[in-house]
Amino acid sequence: MMRKNCPHEKEIRELIEDGHWPLAALPELRAHVGECRTCSDLALVAGVFQNARIETMAAAKLASPGVLLWRAQLRRRNAAVERLTRPLLGAQIFALAVTLLAGLGFMGFEARHGLAWLNWLEQIPQSVGPLWDNLFSASVTSSGWAWMVLVAGLATLLLLGGVAIYKVTDGQERIGRP
Amino acid sequence: MAPIEKRTRMSWESALPRSLAGGALDRSAAGTTDPAMDSDAFAVFYERSARPLWAYLVRVSSDPALADDLMQESFVRFLCAAGAPSLYTMGETAARLYLFRIATNLLRDHWRRPRAASIEEIPEEFFAGRDSAAHSDSQIMLGPALRRMNPRERQLLWLAYAEGYSHREIAKVTGLAATSIRLLLFRARRKIAGFLRGRASHVGRES
Repeated sequence: MMRKNCPHEKEIRELIEDGHWPLAALPELRAHVGECRTCSDLALVAGVFQNARIETMAAAKLASPGVLLWRAQLRRRNAAVERLTRPLLGAQIFALAVTLLAGLGFMGFEARHGLAWLNWLEQIPQSVGPLWDNLFSASVTSSGWAWMVLVAGLATLLLLGGVAIYKVTDGQERIGRP
Repeated sequence: MAPIEKRTRMSWESALPRSLAGGALDRSAAGTTDPAMDSDAFAVFYERSARPLWAYLVRVSSDPALADDLMQESFVRFLCAAGAPSLYTMGETAARLYLFRIATNLLRDHWRRPRAASIEEIPEEFFAGRDSAAHSDSQIMLGPALRRMNPRERQLLWLAYAEGYSHREIAKVTGLAATSIRLLLFRARRKIAGFLRGRASHVGRES
């Protein structure tokens, strides 16, 4: 479809937008619209759309602008809170990751150098007294203080992991709160 | 269009602590957003812009409830947007164009959400029979004709012939190239003019 320009388009459009079409238009212009396909399309479409705009705007039921301001304020505040808490959450996740890595490294180290203490696990079903004796003897004879270090390390790991998990979940709860 | 009187009273963001103002105070200080977009100034802008925006949304979407939702969301996003043009430095026309652009993007997102990747791919049946706007003379003429146009054509026609935007302004709102607007609009106008003439003769025969 080839577009045909007509020099009267702008004039007709301005008349329609000002509400002067067709009564205030020159007779020559009205006659031209009757003959020119482009201008008659323009006059028809623009006239119908202008009327539809007026009628549709009158049917609008508007909310209070104060409600929109309040919603925007709330959204900005939530975004600001999220921006503030994001670095904290990152630090908490980093701390958790470091703790877990340290724990895994510690476990690996113990697995390679101090497995002798695990012997006592085989005797768990036996009585408590011999268990402590075996533990003590195993630690002294085979790997020295390794088992005590391991127990202390595991306890610390559990403690730090618990604190880190609590901090992370607490941060997420605060972010998700409306 | 009369300019909005500039006020020097405290803006609504300044009632918040700086850390909770969402950067609004910083932007105000930098002059990148409206320094006095207080509730009164916004109310004036809203009063002048909300009805045209709602009319645009309801005519393009053929869904008054959706138009209500999208209009409110458009204003909220306008208020929250860091790059929104200032009413005083850029003028109300630029602010309204920006608002229409937000609404157009929301409409596009809405149409894309259910199934289609492009608004051109949405079947026309999706829009048929959803228009519950008032049945006036122009509605009887325009409603059926609009339903036969695709959403992009509706947008272009409404922005050009109802809102009176120039091709460059329509390009800003729709994101299309300004050079292609002229041809797209010409085709859409010829198409809907044919529908309107057919509708007029049909209504004339019935009456």
